[in-house]
Amino acid sequence: MNALRNISLLILILLTSALSCSFGKASVFSKTMPLMDTMVSITVVADSKEAAESAMQRTFAEIGRFGELINFYSENSELAGINRNAGMHAVKVSPESLDVIEQAVIAAEKSGGAFDPTIGPVVRLWDFPNRRKPTEFELAQALPLVNYKDILIDRAAFTVFLKRKGMMIDLGGIAKGYAADLAVESLKKEGIRSGLVSIAGDIRTFGVKPDKGLWVIGIKNPRQTGERDEIIARIRLGDKAISTAGDYERFFLSEGKRYHHLLDPKSGYPAELCRSVSVIAEKGVITDGFDNAIFILGPEKGLKLAKEIGVDAIIIDGSGTIHMTDAIKDKITIEKGH
Amino acid sequence: MKKAIRNTTIADRILFLLLIVTSIAGLVYTREAFSLGSDVLVEVNGKPVYTLALDVNTEISIEGTDGRTVLEIKNNKVRMREADCSNQTCVKQGWISKGTIVCLPNNIVVIVGSRSKKDIDAITG
Repeated sequence: MNALRNISLLILILLTSALSCSFGKASVFSKTMPLMDTMVSITVVADSKEAAESAMQRTFAEIGRFGELINFYSENSELAGINRNAGMHAVKVSPESLDVIEQAVIAAEKSGGAFDPTIGPVVRLWDFPNRRKPTEFELAQALPLVNYKDILIDRAAFTVFLKRKGMMIDLGGIAKGYAADLAVESLKKEGIRSGLVSIAGDIRTFGVKPDKGLWVIGIKNPRQTGERDEIIARIRLGDKAISTAGDYERFFLSEGKRYHHLLDPKSGYPAELCRSVSVIAEKGVITDGFDNAIFILGPEKGLKLAKEIGVDAIIIDGSGTIHMTDAIKDKITIEKGH
Repeated sequence: MKKAIRNTTIADRILFLLLIVTSIAGLVYTREAFSLGSDVLVEVNGKPVYTLALDVNTEISIEGTDGRTVLEIKNNKVRMREADCSNQTCVKQGWISKGTIVCLPNNIVVIVGSRSKKDIDAITG
């Protein structure tokens, strides 16, 4: 009789512990919203739908708010204020705008100007949907206005000043990565311990999935062979950021030549040495800022820069050959046929 | 029952316990492994616009190339509830839990796929 009681008790304990594991179990919740002129996806691991929804909602609002501050094409953004007052006076901005501009200048310095946030006047000349190239004359007028050294930042006064009239900052090459960082901070503040934020090609991951696995990120094949979103490699990430710059995002073909949006700040024309560059680091502002720079520098100089600044890079060069930094080799799986 | 238990040896009881523990562990493990569920991918004009969870009841309005459609996810099934088009083929298709719903006049494709099978959480590029 005692044996029966003991066994029953043991079964009861085991069942209770198994059930308690099941209740309140973490699940994955995802939501996508159009923000910052692109699609923003947030995935979180949370114990309840309510907790996930509330955290994602606040984070979408945070991304939207930041996107408005630095919108290059909106007249009401803080960035437009800086650009409008170029050569005239300094403009007071919010801490996030100041911070992202400061980070952009750092990326410009470290890349020797391969990434330059003052490329705005050249960006304005290209119209990719309407297949319009600038004339040599237009480029010759715009290029002298491109120089990140002419951005004056006053951290104490929270102001930004562009030294010469006609200068324009365009943060398109860094803002989405910075926004992904802000989003992860916001999710953590809301009590989320693991998740993923994807703003176009700029992704931040943190924590692990409910199955304790790392987040798996696919790198798009820059030359799709049919299947939608065909990937060329997959990579496993924990607390990391990854950004990709590709010549296939915004482009047009003219007389057999590909004209894409990754413009060399020195020539004003698209850089031709790479098809795509993915950068992996701790922060989105780093990966986004340097993917363009490495793309413009090309595989050889790009890999050198990646090593210098301590980031990982996967470079697909103009002929389709994949180059990568050593530290990333054990975390990446190249898809069959590549 | 009492007699049956009295007749068991200690080894029998250990084996019995081991079987119970293994089966419970199996139950918990299976829940872990399959907790990711499925995705509902919505594409307009070949471009992904929404990725939704199949296990979260929701309704969304999708702007297609020729009008608006309303997608409904309920009890792990998906249907096109309304569509601004003449043939209503997608609406007539009704509820699906896997496969595809296509609204040709609006260029909308809804794909229900297994997230774990796809094994990719996001795409960069």
